[in-house]
Amino acid sequence: MILTTPAAIRRATLLGLAAVFLAACNNKRVSRVDPASVTDLSGRWNDVDSKLVANALIDQTFSGPWTAQYASAHGGTTPTVIIGSFRNRTLEHVPIGTFVKDLERAYVNSGRVRLVASRDERTEVRDERDDQQTNASAETRARIGKENGASYMLQGDVQAIEDAEGREKVVFYQVDAFLVDLESSQKVWIGQHKIKKYIDRRRVGW
Amino acid sequence: MHTTVKSRLALGTLAVLAACNGPRRIREAPILMNGDRTASQDRLIADARTDGQADNASLTQARDSVYAKAVATCRATICASVVKGELSLGMTPAQAMAATRTAPAAWTLRESGAATVMVPRMLGYAPRDATGEVVMVQFDDERVNAVSYRETQGIRVVSAASDTTMEGRATAMADALIREGDQFNAAGDRAKALDRYDRALALKRGDAMLEYKVATMLDLQMRPVEAQIRYQRFLQSLEIEQIQARGQASAQLADAIARAQQRVIVLERQTMVPATPPSSVPPAPPPTTVPDSVQTPRP
Repeated sequence: MILTTPAAIRRATLLGLAAVFLAACNNKRVSRVDPASVTDLSGRWNDVDSKLVANALIDQTFSGPWTAQYASAHGGTTPTVIIGSFRNRTLEHVPIGTFVKDLERAYVNSGRVRLVASRDERTEVRDERDDQQTNASAETRARIGKENGASYMLQGDVQAIEDAEGREKVVFYQVDAFLVDLESSQKVWIGQHKIKKYIDRRRVGW
Repeated sequence: MHTTVKSRLALGTLAVLAACNGPRRIREAPILMNGDRTASQDRLIADARTDGQADNASLTQARDSVYAKAVATCRATICASVVKGELSLGMTPAQAMAATRTAPAAWTLRESGAATVMVPRMLGYAPRDATGEVVMVQFDDERVNAVSYRETQGIRVVSAASDTTMEGRATAMADALIREGDQFNAAGDRAKALDRYDRALALKRGDAMLEYKVATMLDLQMRPVEAQIRYQRFLQSLEIEQIQARGQASAQLADAIARAQQRVIVLERQTMVPATPPSSVPPAPPPTTVPDSVQTPRP
């Protein structure tokens, strides 16, 4: 078969393109990897940063004396914490909830801190409780006025500083968290974690 | 040719020097690379739980030992106070700790002869009893003789049996509010002074001088109708005949009565003739100072 006519050349080109498209469709690969593994692609805030921050804050929160001091002055009861606002003050999208939820999990599972639902979370709970007052039977309905008041509020923020020159870039993240006494507004614990990333975009690399 | 080589060398040297003038960066070794692993959170939480359980066990042991010592030696009323979690006069240090559900780790004890003072080890973590936040417990011969509480209006000291009752507490709070009101009045902030006097009046009903202070504040704030009612209530709450019969036993109170009567007349005239244009002679101003040391004489 010799490509002598224009029609034959067109057919051959179309076939070639179809083969390339088919090959391209077969290019996707998906695999499950260990969530604890470090995988940096773009250099932006990612799951590793969130985990590092959560680990640091968990470690700092329990190495501080505030839980033991509270228990000592309050008949052995553990302090109650409510999650307040945690602000992202960077220009990047930083999902705050991931490491805050890790911290919440550590509070509850360690048994050293009691946690009450935040303002947004308890709205739904209160609606349900109000509904029970009308519709649930007397022996099963949740009683009103039995919520636990928090002693401390967890607040914090994330800030970033960037520096770039040519193909190199340095990003510095600072995450600050603190617990404020709801009665005296005193800060009883301050946690902090800093991350510095160096990003080098090489033109040629292996 | 020779000159060209020299000039090229000079240019090359200059280029090298210019390159050296740039920002110098030290290459840091990375601490976390692709493929590394982050620490396990579950292990961190498990460690925290173990530490917390150990701390809690030692604290419970210390508290239980104090509690056992406290109830072994207490009398009926003191025992009841320990159970209710109320500090009361006559308690021993162990009983005071048991009443506040604390162990010695929560307190600092200072002894000086027969007197002992117990203060919270950390002010931000002051122990509480059923009444409030305890900032100091004083002992005389190993028995509580005064307890100081931190309250909104300042420190309240309980050093007599009458202070421990609800009435005693209300009186102490009202006195603190009156002091605060007097300070605001002296500073010229009459709205806040009136607010404190009003709150004190809720706790100390029937206090004639407090009623007079409220009336004066209202009068100074150009609220004649309310001021008139308050002046009248002040006058009605006094047994004027008895006071006068005592021959002016209290000069300040008599002065207050005279001023109140005078203001009632002035305010009544003002409210009776509302359409009258303002006269050239302004009415006498209300008193600007409020006597604070006057006590209503008891019949």
